[in-house]
Amino acid sequence: METTFEVKQDGTVLNIVLNGQLATANAPALMEELNKYKNQGVTKVSFDATNLTYIASSGIRVVIFAKQKLGGNPEIEFINCNQEITGVFEMTGIKEYINFIKK
Amino acid sequence: MKKLHFESVKDKADEIVSAVIGTDEVSSCKNDFFTLHLVCEELIVNIASYAYENDGYLDVEIEKMPSEITICFRDGGKKFNPLERKMPDTTLPLEERGIGGLGIFLTVKKMDSVVYDYVNGENVLTVKKTIVNEK
Repeated sequence: METTFEVKQDGTVLNIVLNGQLATANAPALMEELNKYKNQGVTKVSFDATNLTYIASSGIRVVIFAKQKLGGNPEIEFINCNQEITGVFEMTGIKEYINFIKK
Repeated sequence: MKKLHFESVKDKADEIVSAVIGTDEVSSCKNDFFTLHLVCEELIVNIASYAYENDGYLDVEIEKMPSEITICFRDGGKKFNPLERKMPDTTLPLEERGIGGLGIFLTVKKMDSVVYDYVNGENVLTVKKTIVNEK
């Protein structure tokens, strides 16, 4: 089971590539990684979901964390997010806080 | 009916989720697999994390009918009805949102029926979903 992610900083933008799943097995580790960028002037968090097939509530919490706790109310972006994952964002009422981009 | 028994749940949520969604009954639900995976993960993670002071068992029963799947989770941990938990307010601005309770919230939203019962010292949570034609 692929549970990896990769975080890269590009100026004030955090680019996060997600692979496979964002769930209980890896979401806490990503949250810990994001915590390192707290209060560092991040203006945008861009998740590349091209290879993301599944998200659970622990993954939703990472997105809420990025918006609430990084500081400065950064923009949240999801690239190539599949329909089922978008559906989970919609159901939990956070879809409107995310910019969805197709690349 | 498929019956799975897990003697220990502590730190085993991933393993148990994989076993449950790997059964023929669940894995054959192609159109609803994402939902069933999500619901099984949320419920199993909750049981593995909070049901027992130390560790304990989990029994999972899965019954697949032509148009419906039923999954029943039984644990012998402390009495807890997740449906009585306050559901998160998903209409609040994201900045003011709490992060608890999302798992059971999604479970209730995604399934057609979620029923809790406490029987003979066991928490019994039964979820049902109509399944879409998989052919």
